[in-house]
This record gives sequence, C-alpha cells and structure tokens, in this order.
Amino acid sequence: MTARAAAAAVALVACAVKAAPGEDPLAWLQRAAQAARSASYAGTFVHTNGDRTNTVRISHAVVGNDEHERIEPLDGPAYEIVRKNDEVYCYFPDAKTVRLDQRVTARFFPAVLSGSAPAVAASYDVKLGGTERVLGYECRWIRLEPRDAMRHGLSVCSEAGTGLVLRARTLNDKRQPIEHYTFTDLKIGAQAARPDMKSVFEARVKRWLTDSQPREETKATDTGWNVTNAPAGFFKVAELRRTLANREQPVSQLIFSDGVARLSVFVEPNKSPPRSAEASNEDGATSFFVRPMGESLVSVLGEVPLATAQQVARSVARRP
Amino acid sequence: MTQELSSLMDGELAGPDAERAIQACCASDDAKAKWHLYHVIGDAMRGHAPRTLARPETTLQAIGTQPTVLAPRRSSPVTFTRVALAAAASVATVGVVGWIGSQGGPGSAVPVSAKTNSGIQPASNTVIVREAAPDVQPYLNAHRQLPAPEQYRPTANNRAAASATR
Repeated sequence: MTARAAAAAVALVACAVKAAPGEDPLAWLQRAAQAARSASYAGTFVHTNGDRTNTVRISHAVVGNDEHERIEPLDGPAYEIVRKNDEVYCYFPDAKTVRLDQRVTARFFPAVLSGSAPAVAASYDVKLGGTERVLGYECRWIRLEPRDAMRHGLSVCSEAGTGLVLRARTLNDKRQPIEHYTFTDLKIGAQAARPDMKSVFEARVKRWLTDSQPREETKATDTGWNVTNAPAGFFKVAELRRTLANREQPVSQLIFSDGVARLSVFVEPNKSPPRSAEASNEDGATSFFVRPMGESLVSVLGEVPLATAQQVARSVARRP
Repeated sequence: MTQELSSLMDGELAGPDAERAIQACCASDDAKAKWHLYHVIGDAMRGHAPRTLARPETTLQAIGTQPTVLAPRRSSPVTFTRVALAAAASVATVGVVGWIGSQGGPGSAVPVSAKTNSGIQPASNTVIVREAAPDVQPYLNAHRQLPAPEQYRPTANNRAAASATR
C-alpha cells in the first residue's frame, strides 16, 4: 500500500499528469491537492461550519510561473487578500490599510489538502466514491475515512478534467456532515480567472497606510513549548509568536497537521483575568479546549474532534 | 473495574492495559451497562442528544447518585465550561457561562453542563461557579490565518511607521 502510494506520488510529480487518474484513489487525491495551486479558476463558494455560513469570492490563476490569487469574503467587514506567490497583501478599505502579511500562508478552499497523498493515507483510508454532476462539471467523490477517532472524515468532490475540488464535506463519527464547502458558481480556465486578479479595493482609497509589522511575526521561532503526546499522524508544521487582539505580549502558536486536519496550540500568560477552569466547546468541525497550566494558559483550537484537542492541550509542556 | 472503565473512556490506557479493560468490559453485562452509561453521560455533558437509554429512570438515578464515575482521579477540582464560538468576526462571544463543578476534592466530580441539567438532580456536593467564556475569535482568526480587521486599524504606531516610509 505504502509502496504503491509512493510510486503514485512519484509518477504524478514526475509527469504532472493532468488526465483523469484511472481508479487509483491516491492518484485522485494527489491530483485534487495539486489542482488548487495549478489550475486557473474563478468562482464563489459557501462555507458552512456549525451555525455559521460565509460566502467567499475566489479567483486563482497561474500566469507563467507566477501564482496569483484574490480572495474576498462577501460577508462581514470588507477586506480582500491578494496573493502573488508567497507575497500576500491584505486590503482593509475601511481602515485604509494595506499590509504585506506573510502570516497568511494558509490555503483556503479549494485547497483542503495540505499533505502528500501517502502522508494522508497513513491517517485516512482513501476510497473512490461515485461520480456526480456539480455546477455542470463531472465530479468524482474521494472519501477519506479516518483510521482512528482522533480526526474527522472528509469527502471531496474532484472535477474530472482538472482535479479541482468543487465540494468538501467534513463528517463526524456518525458520518453526519458537520462542515461544508461548496462552489455556487465556478468557471475553470485562464480566460475566466485572469481579469479578476487585481485588487478591487486598491483604486477606491487614495492613500493606503502600509504596515510591515506582520513580517516580523512570520519568522519561525522556538517558543520553548512542546506537545509531548500529539495523536498519531499529527506533525508540527509551524511554530511562531504572534500578536493577538487585546494582549500586551505576543502569544506562542504551534500548528499541527495530519495532512488534512489542522490544529493550533496557543500558549500565553494566564492573566487578565486568570482562568482557573478547563473549558471546551465544539461548533461544527471546530473544537476548542482551554486549560490553565500554572502561570500559563493553553488553548487548543482546530478542525478535530474534541478528544483530540483535549489530548493535545493536556500534553503541552516546556521543551526540556 | 469502574476505575479501569473510566480510564479507558478517558483514553488514559494504552496497549495491554487498554486491551485488558476492553476484554473485561465485554465480558460482563454489568460492565457493558456501565460503559453505556458513561457514554450517555458524556453525550449529555457535551450537549448532544443522549443515545437511547435502555432504562432511563435507572440511568438518571445513577447520574444523580454516582457522581464519581467520570473524573475519578483528578488532583484538583474538575471544572467544565461550555463556551460558544463567536458567531462571526463582528459578533462578540457570549459573555458568561455556567459550569457545575465539585468542591469535594479529588475523586468526586461530575461536571454537568447547565444546559442538560434540567430534570436531573445534581449530586448534593456540587456548586455553581461562573467564569467568563474565553473569547475564541482571536484564536480562530490566528488558526485560520484570517487577517483580522482589528489588527489592521491604523494605530499610532503604524501610522508613524507609514509616514516614516513615505
């Protein structure tokens, strides 16, 4: 299985296969992960998690060797994220502020998979499902069934021609959907995406304030904190200090991922006012667990079952 | 036995210990019933609809009279809070939530969420304590790497920085 997975990955990387990858689930998975970065598309998707629904406009194009992306949430305060490769600009028209913000390294839908197919296959049983017609495109379901109770299941619908993920559903242990991403309109191809790449806000404000503070925060740091008992398959992908709203001191953040699910561990001084109790909540696919630990406060948040957040929160320790 | 089951449920057992506990659990009807009960209580605490109860009256009675089953070996009083994730960036998190914890010291706590508490008499040694709900939104923004508008409001500092670069 692993050998086959590795072979599939190598073959895909080597040839950048675009054709539909037969009946190999891992090849489908690899192609779906790749398509979010390599395909050109423009559309609107709806994200539903628990009681919350957000509508987001996204355009993505690869021009030459450059990846361009524009993301504009259509609900709530207006802002947009404009990406050129690793340079990410955030425009806030109300505050007339633009920031080069390299903290925004995360990919959003349709980039739902961050790990390689073999890494994902270690934690999930990957299966091919049926073919469906979605937004006029033919679309094949790929099911990621968790191998243990420490992560949610995921089903993604991958467009037959490009591999692009058109729908994604996170499932709980009873196989009920708890989080949903779906395109409501979509055009695939460079023609559709390219005209849509420029900031729509840039021209509306005469003088933008620029701020480079976030640049300092992207640097990988040793926070001095460690998770001693992360669930199998979860590996640390980032460690940094960042400013959070209403806090005097930077907060340590450790990000873990199993290639699909992500969780963040935050450690900060336990004050203003100090908490004495563990607290937790689940909303949609998101779990939150907070734990006072001496003079520090540990908060774990992620798209994982609550048991996972709890296990991680209770195994945070000073690095020896 | 009870201890072992409870540890198993808390995920504190591994390898041979877990195997032994599972075998013990499957071997006796009494243990099976306990296992089921623990999960019903767990579901209720998390605010999910409880799984079907074979004999609800017995179960509810058991919840009232056996407050030690869920957290038998804590060194400090166990506390449990339900908080709400903020509905959206523009909506503040719910202000205050209640939790029911124990003052009985180690080995005698059944945290029960206030929401699921109706109709069930909590053990007599429980007290209600209130603590402000954590504001989850900053963590959520940082986790999702969403640029939060409040971080971008031009403060005196970055105004100065902006004019310095101009």
